[in-house]
Amino acid sequence: MITLNLNVNGKDHRLEIEDHMRLLDVIRGPLGLTGTKEGCGEGECGACTVILDGNAVDSCLVLAAQCEGKKIVTIEGLETADGLDPVQQAFLDNGAVQCGYCIPGMVLSAKALLDKNVAPDDNEIKEAISGNLCRCTGYDKMVKAIKTASEVMQERGEQK
Amino acid sequence: MSTLKSVGQRIQRKDARAKLTGTALYPQDIEMENCVYGATVRSEIPHGYFTLDLTEAEKAPGVIRIFTAADVTGHNVHGVLFKDHEVLCARKVRRVGDPIAFVVAETQAQADDACALVKVSYEALPAVFDPKEAMKEGAPQVHDGKDNLIYHYKCRRGDVTKGFADSAVVIEREYVSPFVDHVFLQPESGLAYMEEDKVIVVASTQYPHFDQIEVAEAIGWELEQVVILNPVVGGAFGGREDISMQIHLALATIALGRPVKTTMAREESFYAHSKRHPVFMRLKVGAAEDGKLLALEAELHGDTGAYASWAINVMRKAGVHITGPYEIENVFVDSYSVYTNNPYAGAMRGFGATQVPVAYEQHMDILAEALGMTPYEIRMKNLFRKGSVTANGQVLTESVPLETCLEILNQAMNGGSEAAGLDAASSGTKAVPGSDSAAVQERSVTEHA
Repeated sequence: MITLNLNVNGKDHRLEIEDHMRLLDVIRGPLGLTGTKEGCGEGECGACTVILDGNAVDSCLVLAAQCEGKKIVTIEGLETADGLDPVQQAFLDNGAVQCGYCIPGMVLSAKALLDKNVAPDDNEIKEAISGNLCRCTGYDKMVKAIKTASEVMQERGEQK
Repeated sequence: MSTLKSVGQRIQRKDARAKLTGTALYPQDIEMENCVYGATVRSEIPHGYFTLDLTEAEKAPGVIRIFTAADVTGHNVHGVLFKDHEVLCARKVRRVGDPIAFVVAETQAQADDACALVKVSYEALPAVFDPKEAMKEGAPQVHDGKDNLIYHYKCRRGDVTKGFADSAVVIEREYVSPFVDHVFLQPESGLAYMEEDKVIVVASTQYPHFDQIEVAEAIGWELEQVVILNPVVGGAFGGREDISMQIHLALATIALGRPVKTTMAREESFYAHSKRHPVFMRLKVGAAEDGKLLALEAELHGDTGAYASWAINVMRKAGVHITGPYEIENVFVDSYSVYTNNPYAGAMRGFGATQVPVAYEQHMDILAEALGMTPYEIRMKNLFRKGSVTANGQVLTESVPLETCLEILNQAMNGGSEAAGLDAASSGTKAVPGSDSAAVQERSVTEHA
């Protein structure tokens, strides 16, 4: 067992975990945040994507012990008192959600992109979600949704 | 006209918000108090008799009980058309991946580890992997006492001998479509628990009402005592039409009185569920000088692997669709569903209609080339239109917009490049350059109104 300090969705946690646990296991297990999904366990599908210190990562490929002192955002951390994150809202409005299993990872990959580059072009969007598989093949609406979110975020930025 | 509430409106999917916030619960996301975990031992050979030695596995840490065929309290069978699957194989396996035992332990890791300690001794039998071989006299019998050939669809229309004799060109080719997996993104997971005298099975499924019957028959309980709860389904595409672990979970929770859960890793998911039927297609088509199709003869062998699942429906659909959307006076089709020792095949998007275009559309291009026509011209010559009669006798009385569709594509491609054609294919009339598309659309609406 090892002790692990993590900041998840803005909240500090001190956890006793097994040495071999993946970040995914800690998130879904002790933290109980089941919005993060496991699709393949080998970094192919992106369903387990979370944001780790600002970068989208496959949490199935990250050993939990590597995350000491790091900041993690999961899908549960996006909605605020003001409502859904612009990416979530845009996915909802654009009908970009089907079976939903890829959605948390897809949304977080988009969020990580827009936080760094608020006005990406189509190719940048496609590259950012290239590690996230949607087996329902709803990519077209997702790209549209991410563009919508980008516009909303730019407008909000100008208003500030 | 009054405004409709849903039709023609942009409405939000009911469960989309829960899926976007991470609150939608798939079976793997549900935990229950006092829960135990199951893992499945699967066959490693395609065909053979086996015996089990559970001694080591039963002593492994955390193991509570190992279920085998002897523990199935009702009928040890299931299957959507034929009851040809065993809940847990009793003495013979028919494919790699057949379930042999269900190990229940205090944790999922302990159950997984104990699976490796179950000793399976095999007496291998000759196996068959090709449906045409499997139909031959003396081929290995996949199901004891039962023919490997389980279905033969015939379509007979007109006189193909005359049709070929009248043809300027006759082309014969063979085509093969492969096994395909659905790879729904959410691997199989489920849990079961008792609620008074009822057993509750939670699983992502395409057929809760079918599952209820299959679970009840296999455990030997009344239908009313079995409840199937279908929470969020993470994709299916046909791959969740057959039973996966529902019966194993029900048997275990009834025997142990504790909630039982199991979740498959991606690799096991590939072993557990059905595949798209591979189809071996021999196609012979004759056409007149002007491109008019005069005769079609086809022989389709569908490999359903070790179990039938929907093999009959799939190969019937393949047999119906092998003529493509084309009018042909003389047709002679034989379509077969055949057992082999391959992974079993079942429902997958298109259900037999998806395999056959690989043959008939390539064939149309080959015929066009032989006749010095364009692929467009030969298709326009033969398309189903309103009033057409299909080879199996259906009169198409409405909505046959194929001609309009091809006209739009042709317009897009003549105006520019192949890329423009592909654009038109995916985006419709919007992509037609300089477009007359409004006129085309309008005509289409009038025609099919």
